Amino acid sequence: MSLIHIQNLSKHFKILNRREGLGGAFRDLFSGNYRTVEAVSDVSFDIDAGEIVGYIGPNGAGKSTTIKMMTGILKPSGGIIEVNGRPPYDNRIRQAQIMGVVFGQRSQLWWDLPVIESFKILKEIYKVDQKTFDRHMNMFNDLVGLSALYSQQVRTLSLGQRMLCDITASFLHNPQVVFLDEPTIGLDISVKAKIRSVIKELNSERNTTIILTTHDLGDVEALCHRIIIIDKGKILYDGDIKKVNALFGAYRTLKLQLDNFNETTIQILNDKLCERFGTSNGITVAETEEFWTDVTIDQARTPLSDVLNFVMSNFPVDDVRIVEISMENVVRKVYDGALG
Amino acid sequence: MRSYLPIARGTFMVGLVYRFGFLFTILGNIVYLSVAYYLWRSIYRYSDVIRGLTFNETFLYVGLGSAVFILLKTYADWYIHYEIREGLIANYLIKPIDFQLYNLSANFGSLLMNLLAITLPTAIMPGLVFKVTISPGAGLFLFPISLLLAFLISFSIDYFIGLMGFYSESVWGLSTTKEIIVTVFSGALIPLQFFPEAIQKVLYWLPFQAIYHTPLMMLTRPQQGLDIFLPMMAVQLAWAVILFVAARLFYNQAIKVLRIAGG
Repeated sequence: MSLIHIQNLSKHFKILNRREGLGGAFRDLFSGNYRTVEAVSDVSFDIDAGEIVGYIGPNGAGKSTTIKMMTGILKPSGGIIEVNGRPPYDNRIRQAQIMGVVFGQRSQLWWDLPVIESFKILKEIYKVDQKTFDRHMNMFNDLVGLSALYSQQVRTLSLGQRMLCDITASFLHNPQVVFLDEPTIGLDISVKAKIRSVIKELNSERNTTIILTTHDLGDVEALCHRIIIIDKGKILYDGDIKKVNALFGAYRTLKLQLDNFNETTIQILNDKLCERFGTSNGITVAETEEFWTDVTIDQARTPLSDVLNFVMSNFPVDDVRIVEISMENVVRKVYDGALG
Repeated sequence: MRSYLPIARGTFMVGLVYRFGFLFTILGNIVYLSVAYYLWRSIYRYSDVIRGLTFNETFLYVGLGSAVFILLKTYADWYIHYEIREGLIANYLIKPIDFQLYNLSANFGSLLMNLLAITLPTAIMPGLVFKVTISPGAGLFLFPISLLLAFLISFSIDYFIGLMGFYSESVWGLSTTKEIIVTVFSGALIPLQFFPEAIQKVLYWLPFQAIYHTPLMMLTRPQQGLDIFLPMMAVQLAWAVILFVAARLFYNQAIKVLRIAGG
């Protein structure tokens, strides 16, 4: 049986329609004009014990709302949701014992106290016995090398250190499922790598189910076998990451700043690229911000290095950046039927 | 119990971290007590006993009143309101703990910190500097219990106001109004004996006097009999239970706003 079972889950919020201006604000005082927003509608999926699932989507897609329903903070408007066979919202205290949660944006550690004190408090809250506690702390120590931080006040930690401590804290009571909401937000590449390896290690060591929401496709690529893409409250894709990976993994965007940029530049660039690489080359050219020209390249069809060489030798290039495809672009491509 | 004691310990330790902040509170208290001393001195210039209280008793009441006032001032309403409004309450909802008991424990930790850092230094002032004495009596033994009940009442009122965070963006107006009502009607500012008889009778049955007046009477006139103290404590106990349960019911109602309408 699956650890998390979600069937036709939906969540509606009622939001007051606000009117414009001062007069509108006064009339709103007596207004009953609500509209219903469907944050999550008709979502179904099952997650087995030990899985790492990437739950992704653009801002406002309904990711956090789903997580809040799984953790029992929000009550669903409709549908079935069960974690370990029980609906989370009716058994909040009991369910909390088998869950761990990290909200990347807000720490659950005691801001003013040394790190170790937060762990001690959590130990008592979750009724973890001393032996298990010591064993866990040793394991985390080997994994993360936290002991140097124990005596430091939480507010003096760097963002990366704090996040590692928060993740450690969420695993302290050996939960069956851990929800990681944006665990790598605002972190640099090396700390991200560290956090990914810690998550991976904990998952394989303890068979903890992990549900990860993120904006960083790198996280998903590094950790998940399965990915669920959600947008506007509906599931767009649920399945193997390899298929999605082939899609966004192959795309790169070459950002160019060209000298003498004018209205015709994009057209000229596009024509020259077609001339050189053929018409079905998997290359699209567009202006996204002022003075920057974006060339999106499907590497399966045309190697990035060839395009770069061609552009560099034929155009007066001031500056170049290469970026991975963004979450928004992936979602757009999924919409366009790329995963069919 | 095991889950909640470390929380009190935690807030106590947070208090230790900010130890220098207490110095200024004590300093402020010294100024307040000096002003109160000369004010009441001049009021007592033409008679030894006013409304059945001697100068010694009145000043003890006012001095210890300010000490107890600081003791119970844990700003729970502000903290709880902030955590709800900012969505930090999610961090509590994912833990196997009761929100009310969590906050009660956290406040108990702050209370102990206040006791050591501010209340005790302030409380000895009337004795050492102004030569005011406490006479022996049964009230002294009842005082700690009465103070604990006062803490429960004070916490429940603060918790209640904090929970308004589910409905309102700002807690300033509510908190300030509460502060004034409690300060005036509890006897924290002026001993209740100085109020008109009729108002005193009404105030007797309200929860506010149970916070300050009741425990303070046990210190200023401890020689009074149990027949006076026990009914007063019964009123305290009743309010402690009523407010604690009412706050609990209110929470169960208010949390639905969050869980249904979203945070």
